[in-house]
Amino acid sequence: MNSSHVKKTDLHKSERNMARLFIALPVIGFCIFTLVTLVFVFVFSLMDYNVYREEYSFIGFQNFTDLFSNEIYSDAFFRAIGNTMFMLLGVPVGMVVGLGLSALLQAKAMRKCSKVFQVLFYLPAVTSAVAINLVFRYLFNPSYGLINKMLGTEILWFSNEWLIKIAIMIKNTWAGMGGTMILCLAGMLSIPSSYYEAADIDGAKPGRKFFSITLPLITPTLFYMLITGIIGGLQSYADAQVFANGASGAQTIVYFIWQYGINQGKQGLASAGSLVLAVFIMIVTFIQFKISNKWVYEA
Amino acid sequence: MSPLSQALTKKPSDKSSKAGRIIRGTIVWILVLFVAFITVFPYLWMLLTSFKERLEAMSIDFTLFPEVFVFDSYKALSDQDPSLIRAFFNTALIEVAVIPIGTFVTALAAFAFAKMRLPHKHFWLLFLMSGMMVPYAALMLPQYRVFSEIGWVGTPWPLIIPGLFGNVSMLFFFVQYLKSIPTSLIEAGRVDGASWFRIFLKIMLPSMFPAIAAQVVFWFLGIWNDYFAPSIYLSGSSWLTLQALLAQINDNMQRMPDYPLVMAGAVLSSIPIIVIYIACQRYFVQSLALTGMKD
Repeated sequence: MNSSHVKKTDLHKSERNMARLFIALPVIGFCIFTLVTLVFVFVFSLMDYNVYREEYSFIGFQNFTDLFSNEIYSDAFFRAIGNTMFMLLGVPVGMVVGLGLSALLQAKAMRKCSKVFQVLFYLPAVTSAVAINLVFRYLFNPSYGLINKMLGTEILWFSNEWLIKIAIMIKNTWAGMGGTMILCLAGMLSIPSSYYEAADIDGAKPGRKFFSITLPLITPTLFYMLITGIIGGLQSYADAQVFANGASGAQTIVYFIWQYGINQGKQGLASAGSLVLAVFIMIVTFIQFKISNKWVYEA
Repeated sequence: MSPLSQALTKKPSDKSSKAGRIIRGTIVWILVLFVAFITVFPYLWMLLTSFKERLEAMSIDFTLFPEVFVFDSYKALSDQDPSLIRAFFNTALIEVAVIPIGTFVTALAAFAFAKMRLPHKHFWLLFLMSGMMVPYAALMLPQYRVFSEIGWVGTPWPLIIPGLFGNVSMLFFFVQYLKSIPTSLIEAGRVDGASWFRIFLKIMLPSMFPAIAAQVVFWFLGIWNDYFAPSIYLSGSSWLTLQALLAQINDNMQRMPDYPLVMAGAVLSSIPIIVIYIACQRYFVQSLALTGMKD
């Protein structure tokens, strides 16, 4: 009795050790590539560290005050924040389009062909951001782009700081609508059909059913898409680099980090900028955890 | 009264609802086909442009189809430095180096999290998942410094090594998936005296296949389409991936625009992914629906 008990704890001990071993690599990887790296970002952000001159000295929070109040940098930094924020307005637009698409594909008339169109509409989501940016850069070209030709206009999409953001939002709506559509459809499929049957008995019209049953019940999905859309949008880089070719109207926060940190070697300043970005994103993620937990418990 | 009025109104209302259904159906079809056209057109435009001559792509007059189909752009892609074929193999090399090992490491850790006794299990899982909150852009600078100190900038190592330690969003997916697999299989294996590693290899890994397939497809896509890290680490080297090469062609084009060349590059770099997407589309929809995770 006693010996078998001892044997069992021994077995548990070896099981625990094996489990520790099995999770070791991801934990080590996380420590190296996230934890230690973050510490370095913090240390860099307190230094005047220029890679190309190989000089560094501790300057406290000077980089942060520079970002927000030294005109040489703060103009570019605030512009990057403003551009990034403005382009986040494209997230709800894309969600509405995706939601509309999923509603269309749920219609009775689409019953037989819905799958084919789902696969088709999701295609841009698997195409590389670079390829999409290049095609749209060509389509939006002011002098020989197809969009101006079709409209019969000569809109200077790239030189106006607002138009370039709108062009990027149009492009991102095109690229993102398939993803939101699939998520909305998945959310809709999880709604029990008895709700719709009850509404049918009451004689509800399709529009009414959509707004009174479907929309309220997929709010968790919509909220999830909003948050992931915001997190993705805050990290936008290819649009600024490839589509806009660094045009100031489309420079994003990550472009700012790249421009100062990698391109100009001002590692300290760029690290401070990337910490600001990380804090932004952590706050958004935290809000998501809080709110979606609430939903889970209510359901 | 009421049954009578119902009987009187039933027929006409049925008729009008049938007509209404046809009208609604037609409107739905028109809208769907319109969106389908908008979705397909940029791809078509990419393809058609790639067969045009350089000047035709910049002419003021609109031509949908090339006046003459030329393949010059496709030939010119092999004259790039590195050539498109080299970039294709560079990309494939990173995929092959990262995904099998990274997936195995992730699956093994997920097995430990889901099915084994592990002290402070929740802490460790949350610890790993907290990394998903930190954007890559925030971590890039010190990593770039270190990789540059050890001479790895301009080589594919910075794109391979981090992936070998596993993938956290994949880990989370696997842990969820493993919860649905009965533990009785593991207990049977334990009774037979099989080691934990053997149980993982012989029992768990095969039963995880659907989850692995779904996640591998996504990871493959993520690496194939990745641009940020390759453009930073590989710029100017012969190890450029497809996306970084495409962006480089676009950069070089600023002096002398050559849209057919860029479009030909976009076509060739997209074909493999589109083929894989169509072949594996059920996995895409499946794992999107399960986790809602993309990139």
